[in-house]
Amino acid sequence: MGKKKNSSIMKTEARDAWIMMAPAIIVLSVVAVYPIIRTVWLSLHEMVLTDPGSGYPFIGIKNYIAIFKDKRALESIAFTLKFTVTTVVFELLIGFTAALIMNKPFKGKGVVRAAILIPWAIPTSVSAMMWKFIYNDQYGLFNDILLRFGIIDKYKAWLSTADGSFMALVITDVWKTAPYMALLILAGLQMIPEELYEAAEIDGASVFQKFFYVTLPTVKTTVLVALLFRTLDAFRVFDLISVMTGGANGTESVSVYTYNHLMKFLDFGYGSAMAMMIFVVVFIISLIYMRVLGDQITDR
Amino acid sequence: MKKKMWKRVAALAAASIMTLSLAGCGSGSDAGTSGDAGNAENTESAAGAENVENPAEDTEVVQADGGEKIILKFSFDQGVGEPTQKIVDKFNASQDKIQVETVILPQDANTVHDDFVNKLASGDTSVDIMGLDVVYVAEFASAGWLADLSGYLGSDITDQMLAGTVEAATYDGKLVAAPWFTNSSVMFYRQDVLEELNEEVPTTWEGWMALADKAVGVNGIEYGADFQAAQSEALVTNWVEYVWSNGGDILDENGMPVINSEQNVEATEIMKKLVDEYAPEGVTTYTETESEQVFKEGKCLFIRDWSGFWTSGQGDDSKVTGKIAATKLPVGPSGTESHTCLGGLDLVVNNNIDDTQKEAAGEFIKFMTSEETQKEMTLISSQPPVIKAVYSDAEILEAIPFYSDFFGIIEGGKSRPKSPRYAKVSDAIQRNIHQAMTGEMEVKAALDALQAEVEELSK
Repeated sequence: MGKKKNSSIMKTEARDAWIMMAPAIIVLSVVAVYPIIRTVWLSLHEMVLTDPGSGYPFIGIKNYIAIFKDKRALESIAFTLKFTVTTVVFELLIGFTAALIMNKPFKGKGVVRAAILIPWAIPTSVSAMMWKFIYNDQYGLFNDILLRFGIIDKYKAWLSTADGSFMALVITDVWKTAPYMALLILAGLQMIPEELYEAAEIDGASVFQKFFYVTLPTVKTTVLVALLFRTLDAFRVFDLISVMTGGANGTESVSVYTYNHLMKFLDFGYGSAMAMMIFVVVFIISLIYMRVLGDQITDR
Repeated sequence: MKKKMWKRVAALAAASIMTLSLAGCGSGSDAGTSGDAGNAENTESAAGAENVENPAEDTEVVQADGGEKIILKFSFDQGVGEPTQKIVDKFNASQDKIQVETVILPQDANTVHDDFVNKLASGDTSVDIMGLDVVYVAEFASAGWLADLSGYLGSDITDQMLAGTVEAATYDGKLVAAPWFTNSSVMFYRQDVLEELNEEVPTTWEGWMALADKAVGVNGIEYGADFQAAQSEALVTNWVEYVWSNGGDILDENGMPVINSEQNVEATEIMKKLVDEYAPEGVTTYTETESEQVFKEGKCLFIRDWSGFWTSGQGDDSKVTGKIAATKLPVGPSGTESHTCLGGLDLVVNNNIDDTQKEAAGEFIKFMTSEETQKEMTLISSQPPVIKAVYSDAEILEAIPFYSDFFGIIEGGKSRPKSPRYAKVSDAIQRNIHQAMTGEMEVKAALDALQAEVEELSK
């Protein structure tokens, strides 16, 4: 009897919960779910806006098959993966180091923590313009510094070669987002109770042992979350490349290529298929991270 | 456990959806890529410019006799914002039936294009008249977005215009755009250096290269050449000029590509030689802004640039003010005539608006393309007019003496290939020619690849 009453309360609660969630669900379906479904739908059609005579027929998964035959699409995927792995690795190393330093008590800690966020706060297209000028072959600061240190013997046009462009893009992206990584990891570091270090010290642990047996296991989850965010972001890189190289010298990312199809060539069918493909890849990356992360969370 | 798993996937899906929608937002922040399609005044950075609606928009407009005025929305980029606003104000004051309101877009060819596409593709009628870059006319017309203007601009008007501009505004035999102002490139060179060396102005590329060999070191000259070879629309406008001025072409009269011809290979090799031996090392990363900066520093013998540089290149920030002169682009060894690449803006009318609006838009366009308005626009904006008579107008020649020579240059101007798939053609040119310039591909191989790509597009 009591059980039944209990379940009816639960039912009412469930109903109330749905009512309260309704506005959020409606908003989400309008602004997120609908566009996605629409994109899927468009990706199954041949739809080039400059060719209305075609009648935009339904062509099934032909657009998706075309992606795998499109050398440029595959190259852009390869470039994007290379870019993602390189930048994320550097950001992790630099971000982690910076976080460890900032976690130590020193004078002006607050100022440093605020200052380190500046690159992250500048809009990407603005910092991309700024860095484009830094790499300029006539006036660039980058050339000036390298020349003064004797690393190069004359000014170079860094953005005019494939290797130079890749390096320039990676440096810019790392400069911009390593601080973000650092702050996230710093937050994780601050959650480690001081007692753990004290206990380790009493047991006679060295600095390295403390790092590997206390710090690392405790911040692992935070680091993984930070990595997840950065990986997804790096994979969708757009503004940086669009401004700095425009996709020249083999630096066309998947997002830039997709944008070209959608907005420049007005090929909504193929462009939507590319967009869906980005979605799927991003989903897979998330899934991999979530598997690792999920075990962490559920094991607790 | 199963349920938990399901929840996790659902949460993940929601998260991915959010990131994907963010990806969508990202495409808007394209400001700064100078996707300049031949609009000389468009070269400055687009950053900071927002859609600015005319404040006059909210004020209620009532005609003198109590009837409502027809309101037209006119959208164009900020590059010509101020002078155009003045002309529009004058039109509004000149009659009491039509009220034109301006919607000013950021000064960036790509942003403007995307804004128009978004509106027109969804059948939006919030804008009636647009200032559209000439290269997009065919694309918009083939999508059925542009109203036929033949009824408003008869041959009596179009005959007064530069033939090349009218040709570029015609699609499928219909006049789908009204030439508003045009643009063409010019060879700006350092008069002081030529005087110092006591040399004549060369008319061929060989001549310029020979001169450049002597000029380096004179009056601070470090580079023999300066132009735009970044992978962008600017590269297309540069390259087609080498091709045309060497007797070559992109498409033949039937619209079939003739890209890997001998003349074109020769023309491209000249350009490559300039990149390798004469231009600043970073020329393959230069659009207009970067190339102009180096020239204004006084480091280059010449710059190929849009006509507007005559004024913008001799401002307070320039070290070459008063030292430059302009001439025709040089011809190649197999060419006889020099051809510049035409740019500029056309006025187009949204095909979705009703007939009364179209009628009114026709009136406004007639006003904009009249000799009187064209002259005034030229005086306040230094944009080259499309009405031929303006070039020989005494008042104009007094203000811009350079126009007497310029008329000959602009008359020989050609338009980039007219195709509804121009964006793809341009993209193919940009990629392949850029690879040829950076040396990643042999010139001949790049042109063969380009030929194959454009053949594929012409099917």
